[in-house]
Amino acid sequence: MALVECFFVIPGAFDEAWFSGGLKGLDPRFEDAKPAQGFEILDCHDQSLRASGKVLIESGGTLRLLHAGEPVTQRCKGKGKFAQDLPKGPVRDGLAGFPKLRALMSMGAGQLENRSFAILDDLQKTQVRGSMMTLSSDYGQVSLVAVQPMRGYDRSFQAVCGKFDEMAAGATGTEPLFQALFPNLVVYKAKPQISIGTQEPSIEVATDIIRTYLAVARQNEAGVLADIDTEFLHDYRVSLRRVRSVISLFKGVFSPDQTTALKREFSDLMAPTGRVRDLDVYLLEKDDYFDLIPPNLHEGAKAMFAQFEKERAQALSSLSRRFRTASYDQQMNDLAALFSDHGNLQPGENADRAAYEYACALIWKRYRKVCKLARRITPDTPDDDVHELRIDCKKLRYLMEFFAPLFNAKAFKTIIKPLKKLQDNLGLFNDFSVQQEALLRFVAQQSNNQGRANAQIAMSVGGLIAVLNQRQRTERDRVVANFQHFDSPEIRHLFRSLFHKKEG
Amino acid sequence: MKIIACYSNKGGVGKTATSVNLAYAYAMAGQTVLLCDLDAQGAAGFYFRVKPSKKLTDARFFEDVERFTASIRASDFEGLDVLPANMTFRDFDVFLSRMRNKRSRLKKALVSAGSDYDVIILDCPPNFSTLSENIFKAADQIVVPVIPTTLSERTFDQLVSFFDTKKLPKRKLKAFFSMVQRRKTLHLETMDEMQKLYRKRFLHSSIPFAADVERMGQNRAPVSVFAPRSAASAAYQALYDEIENGVVSSQ
Repeated sequence: MALVECFFVIPGAFDEAWFSGGLKGLDPRFEDAKPAQGFEILDCHDQSLRASGKVLIESGGTLRLLHAGEPVTQRCKGKGKFAQDLPKGPVRDGLAGFPKLRALMSMGAGQLENRSFAILDDLQKTQVRGSMMTLSSDYGQVSLVAVQPMRGYDRSFQAVCGKFDEMAAGATGTEPLFQALFPNLVVYKAKPQISIGTQEPSIEVATDIIRTYLAVARQNEAGVLADIDTEFLHDYRVSLRRVRSVISLFKGVFSPDQTTALKREFSDLMAPTGRVRDLDVYLLEKDDYFDLIPPNLHEGAKAMFAQFEKERAQALSSLSRRFRTASYDQQMNDLAALFSDHGNLQPGENADRAAYEYACALIWKRYRKVCKLARRITPDTPDDDVHELRIDCKKLRYLMEFFAPLFNAKAFKTIIKPLKKLQDNLGLFNDFSVQQEALLRFVAQQSNNQGRANAQIAMSVGGLIAVLNQRQRTERDRVVANFQHFDSPEIRHLFRSLFHKKEG
Repeated sequence: MKIIACYSNKGGVGKTATSVNLAYAYAMAGQTVLLCDLDAQGAAGFYFRVKPSKKLTDARFFEDVERFTASIRASDFEGLDVLPANMTFRDFDVFLSRMRNKRSRLKKALVSAGSDYDVIILDCPPNFSTLSENIFKAADQIVVPVIPTTLSERTFDQLVSFFDTKKLPKRKLKAFFSMVQRRKTLHLETMDEMQKLYRKRFLHSSIPFAADVERMGQNRAPVSVFAPRSAASAAYQALYDEIENGVVSSQ
């Protein structure tokens, strides 16, 4: 059996003397280190790479991707770029599966030193070779060692690997690297786990969820300001939307007055983000839009997207200004303080209902409403009813997600799968509809007082609307079938057994 | 895959030095090379600091593919592996033909062990035996170092006659002058005569008698490693170029 290259992560300063002393009959020779270089660890905001056990290091214009197996390198820069936009190469291949919408950003920086070593026997014959990369930050040091076997010297290879293994002291994978270099790096989770007790009063559950998502929203502010990628604002908005849905869906948990006031406050918080997000969505779909219409209509679309880009820059700068104001910061701090303890809030009639029982009631009611709406849908139903179904599905999904810790995970997965499919379908139906309206609005804005618009733009927009309308019809036709999947006897049974157990 | 045998029926002619330096030249040219040390007295392994393998004392080892591959040692140079000496080769021709045969178990084992070599260089023992006859049959080229002296001339005559008697293909024989001392009239005269007599058998390249070649024993490395700009290093490079590419250097 041929031995393969082995890798070790050795936290802390590398003790060369101890290492050398432990190898009987073998003489390790470490080459002088090459001059130190600066490095940065790249990942996206939610640390997808770290979660998948990978580390991406940028240093001196080279990217180095480390994974359990072989480290791969590619000569290019990565900071601020999207994985799919990197030039073709082994690092880009290794980043397959990296979130498409997430840009690579610096998670931390330090100094890096490379050196190679050889392990010689009494005849000065090399029996094992390897290389060591030592990374240091303000917090600590870690050495990444690669050991290469040489044919016929298996025993020495195993001895050397055993020694490194001892020095690694059980450190495997890439996590020790983060622990050693950046121990204070907070792991961002867009959907953190929130534990709920079955008997926990509902006002406590609501407060916990709101407090958590307020914090998630705040973690995204810096990324919005730096304009790293569009997901920061998206996550910011999703977090606030979750907060709003708790306020509106957990009926009677807070007093009616406070509920009204909170609804208004969070709605006002989100309002200034809407335009940037809409424009982000259009710009993300730019290539798709061009694919929808023939090339001879591209001129107008180009002009339109140029306009969108200009408008986005303006909208983002006004949003950024708002994020930087003291009053915004004060408002967010006040909200965080308010939700730091449920005692700060005015309880409503349902405040003390036990979480489990309350969850069953809310979910069951919303499920029944979804079914009632969906079963009525025929090819002749007005679009507004389809929109209403979409909103209720969303509410049902949010409720199920909030209370998920109280229920059987496998059963939830079974239910969520067809629900998600239905929601994707309804989501596209809605997107196509919203996009048509937005395009019409755009042309209206571009028109003069007599309602005349630039012919190229008008033609492109006309073409787009025609295609989008067809797509919207297609999605609409799928709704009935997708609902039937969701409305299967199995799912019905699951809903009933999970949320509507008859007592006694 | 090609097999190059380094052979001489006379000892002390620089055969092992040739095997070692030729193997190194092939590896430096980017080919994967296995140098087989078949000469129990030879020192191919010694020059690469590879200790003889205990595993290889058994005559039956060619039947055991795994033990064969386990005996191969990496040298300190990329692409150059060594099979150390200390063995008996009864069925070496069978072994060599198996190595060539893509479907043989040996070949498959070598490929899977990452040793699908481009070139196999054999450092052969200095005698006529069943083994040498088998090697003559199996090898693509037989590189023969000849010291330009009367005694060596006789030995080379014997080798050629052996090929004639056994009806072996003489075109495989690539002789070259080794340990040449151009100050010696005898050397120059002998070279002149032999080149006339065996016009097709001799390569143009020759290896000078050089202290650097002798120093290989102290340095335990190919000449080009410790004396890269020496005349000996250049001569071995020229020998490689001529054997591999048929290029005759102007030196």
